[in-house]
Amino acid sequence: MYSVLICDDSLVARKQVAKCLPEDWEVAVHFAKHGEEAIAALKEGKGQLLLLDLNMPVMDGYQVLETIQAQGLKTTVIVISGDIQPEAHERVKRLGALDFIEKPIKPATFEKLLVKHRITQNQQEQDKPELASLDPEIRDIYQEITNIAMGQAGDHLARILNVFVKLPIPNVNLIEASELHMMLQDIEDKDTVSGICQGFVGPGICGEALFILSDSSFNDVAKILNISEEVDDQMQLELLMDAANILIGTCLNGLASQLDMHFSQGHPEVLGQHRNITELININKTRWRRTLAIELSYGLEGYQVHCDLVLLVTEESMETMNNKLSHLLED
Amino acid sequence: MTDEALNDLTEFHWMMDMLQTVDVGLVVLNREFEINLWNGFMESHSGLLPSQVRGKSLFALFPEVNEAWFRNKARPVFELKNRAFIIWEQRPFLLRFPNYRPITGTEDYMYQNITLSPLVSTTGKVENICMMIYDVTDVAVGKKVLESTQVILSELNEKVAEKTVPANRVND
Repeated sequence: MYSVLICDDSLVARKQVAKCLPEDWEVAVHFAKHGEEAIAALKEGKGQLLLLDLNMPVMDGYQVLETIQAQGLKTTVIVISGDIQPEAHERVKRLGALDFIEKPIKPATFEKLLVKHRITQNQQEQDKPELASLDPEIRDIYQEITNIAMGQAGDHLARILNVFVKLPIPNVNLIEASELHMMLQDIEDKDTVSGICQGFVGPGICGEALFILSDSSFNDVAKILNISEEVDDQMQLELLMDAANILIGTCLNGLASQLDMHFSQGHPEVLGQHRNITELININKTRWRRTLAIELSYGLEGYQVHCDLVLLVTEESMETMNNKLSHLLED
Repeated sequence: MTDEALNDLTEFHWMMDMLQTVDVGLVVLNREFEINLWNGFMESHSGLLPSQVRGKSLFALFPEVNEAWFRNKARPVFELKNRAFIIWEQRPFLLRFPNYRPITGTEDYMYQNITLSPLVSTTGKVENICMMIYDVTDVAVGKKVLESTQVILSELNEKVAEKTVPANRVND
């Protein structure tokens, strides 16, 4: 298990930092009241990540960083301090700290930092490599049926919108809640986005379709859908709904017909407009841990349109789907 | 009448009863957007009898519906056999129906979520679509109240934060 050492002389601060650790992150948390305790704990191997305060009695944060460097102790250090002078910032970085967070610490900023430095990811890779794996044969089947569904969807789109659709290669994976963030991270870096999610159920199968459109696409989407009015917020919602209706609908129809079943779709839910991905996903983060994700990134030839369709299916549904698809596995 | 025919008729009768009493608006429209079916929900909320609307154009009966917009929504349903969804955040209502609870309700009109669903004929073509209208007034009112509460809360939070931050810095 990954270990986190929180070093602060204030009990309140220690508690607050511990509370900010992501809920779905399985870690052993250790505490130290000052630098000397922290160094002792590090030597016992309690602290792959050290969350370090600067101003402390006995041995302060700067001295801890110096000691770590001098003794070559293996740990990743993030400094959490109320000292917001740029000089403090510079000094701790020079002493080998990975990053600097201002007090009072906020869970959202903290989690972003963990994702940015791939700290939560490393832990998952180390602890449960088997979770990320999916039987290659099964993955192949899902990829294939999605490809076929996509082909149909692309044809439908091309006919109704008069555009050429660059068909994406579906990305099929078993993922965890925190991994979805990373999967969508590169979209966030570029742009703000708007999202729609829509639940679907079939006999023994339930899942959600997540449709995410980058805000820079709206003008071109309006052109394609022959909308001449000004693209304000209300109009953007319309466009988002229209694009989601068509893409989610055609893709689900294609999958359903191959599985020889029928999906009922719930009403779409607006996840938010002009938000960043992390905010969109945070809302439902704790409800699920692991799902099958089929990720499709679309582009349209000649247009600046980027959208992602992610079909998430619960782990339980996979059994039903595998049974339905077992004929594809037979020789 | 044979027993079998009588059974069929009974079955048809209770199926119709179900369509009539379900608390969801059901309207069947053909490619010209003429009304083929108008259930009890639609009748009660619009005050129009099925006999008054059958065969008439939706747009003629309800001028508040933007024709070009609605045709556009229905196009993928006819052509792709896709379902289309219209949610209240997008348009609060399609047809101006009064609130179900005129006395204790806070809104004048019924907020509606709408699903347009293809009806495939025996030849495999979509000649008709079914429009389902759900009353989501309670959901909409709830969400609006929640949002305004969140705004108030974050304003209060900011005020509290302004007062406490300097105190924290002294401790560090």
